[in-house]
Amino acid sequence: MSSRATGRRQSLALSLVGLGALVLPFLVKSPYQMHLAIMLCINIMLAMSFAMLFGTGLITIGAASFWAVGAYTSAFLVMHLDLSFWLALPLAGLCAGAIALVLGSILVRAPGVAFVVQTMVINMIVVQALGQIEALGGWGGILGIPRPDPIGSLRFVGKTHFYYLVLFLLGFNLLAFYALYSSRIGRAWSAIRLNPRLAQTLGISLFRYRLLAFVIASISSGVAGSFYAHYFGTIEPGTFSVFKSIYIQIYGILGGLNFYLMGPVVGACIMTLLPEFLRVSREIEPMLTGAILVLLVIFLPGGVLSIPERISSWTESMMKRGKGSPAEVR
Amino acid sequence: MALLEVKNVTKNFGGLAAVSEVDLDVNQGEILGLIGPNGAGKTTLFNVVTGIYPPSTGKVMFEGRDITRLKAHQIAQLGIGRAFQASTLFMRLSVFDNVFNGFHLKYRVGAWRAFLHTPGARIEERHIREKVMEILEFMGLAASKDQLAQNLPYGHQKTLGVSIALATGPRLLLLDEPLCGMHPEETSAVLGLIQKVRDSGVTIVLVEHNIEAVMRLCDRIVVLTQGRKIAEGSPQEISENTEVIEAYLGTDEEDDLIAA
Repeated sequence: MSSRATGRRQSLALSLVGLGALVLPFLVKSPYQMHLAIMLCINIMLAMSFAMLFGTGLITIGAASFWAVGAYTSAFLVMHLDLSFWLALPLAGLCAGAIALVLGSILVRAPGVAFVVQTMVINMIVVQALGQIEALGGWGGILGIPRPDPIGSLRFVGKTHFYYLVLFLLGFNLLAFYALYSSRIGRAWSAIRLNPRLAQTLGISLFRYRLLAFVIASISSGVAGSFYAHYFGTIEPGTFSVFKSIYIQIYGILGGLNFYLMGPVVGACIMTLLPEFLRVSREIEPMLTGAILVLLVIFLPGGVLSIPERISSWTESMMKRGKGSPAEVR
Repeated sequence: MALLEVKNVTKNFGGLAAVSEVDLDVNQGEILGLIGPNGAGKTTLFNVVTGIYPPSTGKVMFEGRDITRLKAHQIAQLGIGRAFQASTLFMRLSVFDNVFNGFHLKYRVGAWRAFLHTPGARIEERHIREKVMEILEFMGLAASKDQLAQNLPYGHQKTLGVSIALATGPRLLLLDEPLCGMHPEETSAVLGLIQKVRDSGVTIVLVEHNIEAVMRLCDRIVVLTQGRKIAEGSPQEISENTEVIEAYLGTDEEDDLIAA
């Protein structure tokens, strides 16, 4: 109806959120809360990768594996080859992308359950391999990963510095993904997701477009991994387990899978912040997560962002039912 | 040279030959009907031509070019369009966006230009939008352009399927049972549309069970039974062909005729 008005309202809401994100360090003083904000940004990036793949009809339970590739590549490049972090960051992304290109050209040919299982198994293999390779620290992981080199007088010491760096990466990611989604590539992706059989008779190569999504999603996860390694200072294989991949999946589903950009943002926010607000212990958290997932799939398969739509369709049907006596509806 | 040449094509599924040793020429500008009882291999033949799967043996040529081993999207790029049997649409998109997606090959706005909203991108977008509207008007769907495909009446869903295929700019259009499930009024409307599409320069092959309509519409008819071509000719010739009558009236295919 008034799509321009809703569009304006959306961009207003977006700019408010963006502004809030920019001034956050001035409002939040506790380092722990800054840490949460940083981890949230990483989670959003990972969830965006999941959502991009889902948008081509591919469901991955291996999103964490490319995060791991980025983190380990970056740590290795900086610690063993003395590369600058600023060079290692894009290289980590490219490395994850290159691996995705090779693996993907086999995997994306078989979408559906095969892809789900294969990405999950690859995730397990990556974790096992990282645990076994002594040069990469084995199960103990890599300790003492250096912080990013200073840029001029700007030194990365406090959480605030890291926060702005990850916010920049996230912002870049959001803009790049937005550009892709609004181009012919995004249109082709959505055509593939909605009806692959029809899409290919329109001249859309399922293989090429799925592979493209797989590579881009992996590059973005790899970059997030590089940042994580140098922010956290230590990495260990356990962090990148299938369990994390399942969490990433939940971020995407919780926000709403039809909302390629805002779905991951909202889902990751809720899943990252909710356990903190509820102050549940680490032991109980997975149970809470599981409960959320089950309830979600049953009652709100469209995700949190589908709530307004559901309410409007609900009121519409109520209006219809009460047509004989409109006074009652009000 | 025929527009499409199917040469000695066989397609086996396991031990079963769904199509065997079929030869078929489609001439520029004609409407060719493909008829036969259920399971005769008509849809399989369509799938082979459009690259859904390759034939077990034989060759498919389009405009003199061998397309036997090409993928479905490559064949679409060469100019063979297809509307499916069931209502295969983007159900959750509007009628307009359905047809817009059909323009994938001509819509060249990449990520960079889309992001920057360059004047070029805007002009191209407007150009494609106009072309979408042209097709919708041509097919009589302009009034329902904002409706979701899933909310369209069945007859309109089928014409939308054809509209999407037309958006790819095909020179050959394959229609799989375009009249299936339609009442007489809709049927004659769609027959008119198909003729209009042909008159606009698109060659058409259609699979259809409504024999009466096929007889009226098609320039030529090919009859398949059990994967083999048993007859080929003008509607007149086909209706007088004893082998065809036998195939249709033969004891075990009686039900198919009634269904048709």
